[in-house]
Amino acid sequence: MKNLLLLLAVFGCCQWGFSQEKVTISGYLTDAANGESLIGATVFIQETANGTVTNVYGFYSITLEPGTYNVEYRFLGYETIYKEIELLGNQRIDLELSEGGVELVEVVVTGEPEDLNVSGVQMSTQKLDIKTIQKLPAFLGEADVIKSIQTLPGVSTVGEGASGFNVRGGSVGQSLVLLDEAPVYNSSHLLGFFSVFNPDAVKDVQLIKGGIPSRYGGRIASILDVRMKEGNSKKFAAQGGIGTIFSRLAVEGPIVKDKASFIVAGRRSYADVFAKAFTDVLDDGAALNFWDLTLKTNYNINAKNRIFVSGYLGRDNFKFDAQQGFSWGSQTATVRWNHLFNDRLFANFTFFYSNYDYELAFGEDDLDKFTWNSTIKNLDFKPELTYFINPNNKLTFGGEILQYTFEPANAVAVSDGETQDISLNEKQALETSVFIGNDQKIGEKIDLQYGLRYSNFAYLGPGKYYEFAPAAEPGERRFPTEEFTAESGETIANYGTLEPRFSIKYQLDDQSSLKGSYNRTAQYIHLISNTTASNPLDVWTPSTNNIKPEIGDQVAVGYFRNFGADNDFETSAELYYRKTTGQIDYVDGADILINEFLEGDLLEGIGRAYGMELYIKKNTGKFNGYLSYTLARTELQVDGINEGEWYPTRFDQTHNFKLTMFYEPENRWSFSANFTYVSGTPTTFPTSRFAVQGYTIPLNFGNGRNNVRIPDFHRLDVAATLQGRKVKRNGQAKKNESYWVFSVYNLYGRRNPFSIYFSQVDERFAVNEPATTTANRVAIIGSAFPAISYNFKF
Amino acid sequence: MSPQKYNFFLLMGLLITLQISFSSCEDEIRPELEEAPNIMSIDAWINNKPGQQVIKVQQTQPYFDNSFPTGLTGATVQVIDENQQVFDFVETEAGNYVWTPAGDETFGQIGLAYELNIEHEGITYSAVGRMNGVPPVDSISFEFEEADGPFPEGYFAEFWSKDLPGQGDTYWIKTFKNGQFLGKPEEINLAFDAGFSSGGNIDGLVFITPIRFGINPFEEDEDGDFLSPYSPGDSVFVELHSISNEAFYFLTEVQLQTDRPGGFAELFATPLSNVPTNITPSDENVNVVGFFNVSAVSGNGKKLEE
Repeated sequence: MKNLLLLLAVFGCCQWGFSQEKVTISGYLTDAANGESLIGATVFIQETANGTVTNVYGFYSITLEPGTYNVEYRFLGYETIYKEIELLGNQRIDLELSEGGVELVEVVVTGEPEDLNVSGVQMSTQKLDIKTIQKLPAFLGEADVIKSIQTLPGVSTVGEGASGFNVRGGSVGQSLVLLDEAPVYNSSHLLGFFSVFNPDAVKDVQLIKGGIPSRYGGRIASILDVRMKEGNSKKFAAQGGIGTIFSRLAVEGPIVKDKASFIVAGRRSYADVFAKAFTDVLDDGAALNFWDLTLKTNYNINAKNRIFVSGYLGRDNFKFDAQQGFSWGSQTATVRWNHLFNDRLFANFTFFYSNYDYELAFGEDDLDKFTWNSTIKNLDFKPELTYFINPNNKLTFGGEILQYTFEPANAVAVSDGETQDISLNEKQALETSVFIGNDQKIGEKIDLQYGLRYSNFAYLGPGKYYEFAPAAEPGERRFPTEEFTAESGETIANYGTLEPRFSIKYQLDDQSSLKGSYNRTAQYIHLISNTTASNPLDVWTPSTNNIKPEIGDQVAVGYFRNFGADNDFETSAELYYRKTTGQIDYVDGADILINEFLEGDLLEGIGRAYGMELYIKKNTGKFNGYLSYTLARTELQVDGINEGEWYPTRFDQTHNFKLTMFYEPENRWSFSANFTYVSGTPTTFPTSRFAVQGYTIPLNFGNGRNNVRIPDFHRLDVAATLQGRKVKRNGQAKKNESYWVFSVYNLYGRRNPFSIYFSQVDERFAVNEPATTTANRVAIIGSAFPAISYNFKF
Repeated sequence: MSPQKYNFFLLMGLLITLQISFSSCEDEIRPELEEAPNIMSIDAWINNKPGQQVIKVQQTQPYFDNSFPTGLTGATVQVIDENQQVFDFVETEAGNYVWTPAGDETFGQIGLAYELNIEHEGITYSAVGRMNGVPPVDSISFEFEEADGPFPEGYFAEFWSKDLPGQGDTYWIKTFKNGQFLGKPEEINLAFDAGFSSGGNIDGLVFITPIRFGINPFEEDEDGDFLSPYSPGDSVFVELHSISNEAFYFLTEVQLQTDRPGGFAELFATPLSNVPTNITPSDENVNVVGFFNVSAVSGNGKKLEE
């Protein structure tokens, strides 16, 4: 409530800032072909030599002295529009930009104006255009948002097949994945082989690794902001494809031309459809499939109001038969209302619902069964306003009320006809925040972005909560000593964090700049996962009276330099250092599923991550691409692990090198390649063995954690795209576009190690026979994987 | 089976399917391991079954040393109950210390606490345990099942027994097929009350299905297909051991650390860590591994008639 009042106060304040002598031009920029709003297009005033960029809804606003101005509307890959505007009063100018034109270069990694990487204040941020994502060679030919961002500097993963991604030393659960403003709690299909985003419905992907603006919060490592297409408002269109894993279809079109449109995009895996023809394993209700459906519609009510409704539904199903198996999936629904209070005050109100759940069922009949499901649910209201004060100041402010419901386990065991409900208590929490931030230009050289976010987290009743005795030894399980019952609405634990955010850019010359940033971020919910890769059964748990929030402080500095007349080359070098508290680790043998006393199995520690990221991108020419290199270290220190000394995380990679290349000759073929070289990740080896009751048990004398590295990882992927003919044999232009993609993942078939494990060999040993112990190196994808997909558009 | 194991089991099914479609691969390797001193390892699991009780005092050895562990000789090994009755364990061969009953006497008494004392080279190693009660194994049944998902068609055995009333009973179910102990790490079958874990809170029921079915060995033929767990003519004997809660956690961790099926399952493996011990040396600078547990045992068997 206090936050809400604060927010209202901020609302009130801004009314005061309006001045009447100046005039404003504002409006929306859209794509002439399909009506999609253009995110990050430049509006440049020649006379004042400055300008602005459109926001995520394609809106811009510039306030100037009255006069006559030459205005350029630019968007990379689109024809620039030059306009002479006589500005006497406020003017609304909505424009459509057409793709192509003289400046046509293939869009590679950015839709930003040509030098925004240098001239913009934002650092540690990378945009990935969906066209680039679709061109990258992908596993089994399935274009994948999450896998694509792993080609960027500062982004790593535990290994192939692992879900999620790690940014600047953050764990998978420390990155916030947003789909049209709603969080996605598990971004993977089929464990981690594919991601849930349908490339046909994605418009824009932005990864923020540092200098995080005050409008974002809730995770300490990074924000992956995925925006969906709005749907073609000009004409009906469909696109789709038949790939090795998925078949896809997306349909979009106007509901009311230029006013309302929709897009519906679906994918489904169909391995099981094929399999049914060859085996009877899938009879009796057995299933193995995954699918997702993305929907969005928008309505331009009038010049000042626009509404968007979007949703995502996806599920993975794996069933032995009709009764047994498991499934998991997410649902999100977002309603957004863009409202222009006036030419300079843009508002967006978001309301979303997000849900992730999984379900397990086991048992032969109703007399003997075990069913279990778990969910995390969100309801959220998020007002966000931008006040375009003048070309030198842009104020953003707003707030968020985020309600959580955790159902860690609803589980029922029926044994020989007797039923026992072993469900865990539902947990409730409320996260509220307010933020304010300003983008300020000082002179021609200095840009600032500064802001403050205050977040508050309340862990609420009803429910039971516990006090735990201190561990007998550091790192050991703690047992509950006292149990309390909280009433509905009662606050069990409350945490508040002031999160300052600051970024600065200093322009050295036309083509180079220095940037620096500091940000503090707070994270109140924790992904509980003690396995090498995160898995679908991992549970999110709130901060409680026993679990503190995770807090991260990051500083970063960078040098940005472009080369060539058309900014042909973009380069950057960044250094970062992040300190974290409230990092979670686990007691040995932690029981993280259906454990009422989970808190007693968690350990708390601190973290540090630092590194250098280099990035070189070639924007122009038939041969283009980008190169990322990261030198990094990520460590944790937890009382009770590794004798209390610092140890590297499982995803710590010293060197992380990626080269992505595109070759686009002027014919129907285009080619791409992606080469990855990363240092081996750390693991723990035993030193000795001993036997108890016939089991040969590994012993790691000295108890070090992650003290050995598995061998380095390297892999080359290639893809070739063949565009269908654009003209028919009779010379008429074809209505449909189509293209084939041929790809090979892991071209030279390297058995890249995912892990090395130690075990006694899988044999029965006689009573008087010692066990044989071995080590095995596992490659998740140990051979070359070719794939073909056919894609169409009409 | 621990809860992890249980869920793991479901995940495994998916992973098997993945394996068919994607094929991960494995190479046996011999990485160099850090050298470590050999320390004392104690295997002291005693029970009230008729006959001798053995406590092994041995040394750890390098991980890839596939020979028998070296026994430590010259130790004094005693177990003392809470009434101060002393059971002497006498060394019969290097590292094997044996208590031999007089007549048809069995070791221990349900409800009593026991202390283990081992003296070796001036250091005393001690641990405590209690012999908890155990319910009878009422019966064992066989059923012929059609193939179902990853399970082959064949004869499956199931044992029937009911957890003792009162929360916090922990059991180790040991299965013998044709007299041979099913001792692979994946075959460790544990129960916390009638279910998998303390949080599970299932008390006083018949053991839940996966525990009852946890007495079936899944062996593969040369093609990697599962074989029927039992065939006509096979016999099965099930021993139900009451164990301490600490022993339950110990065996849970033993299973986590030793049951490594490899392949895609490596995605969801937990990091290698040392299993706990309940043995305390008198000198805290001395290292020791191993475990002491006192069980009461019930059992039942059945033969699958031809």
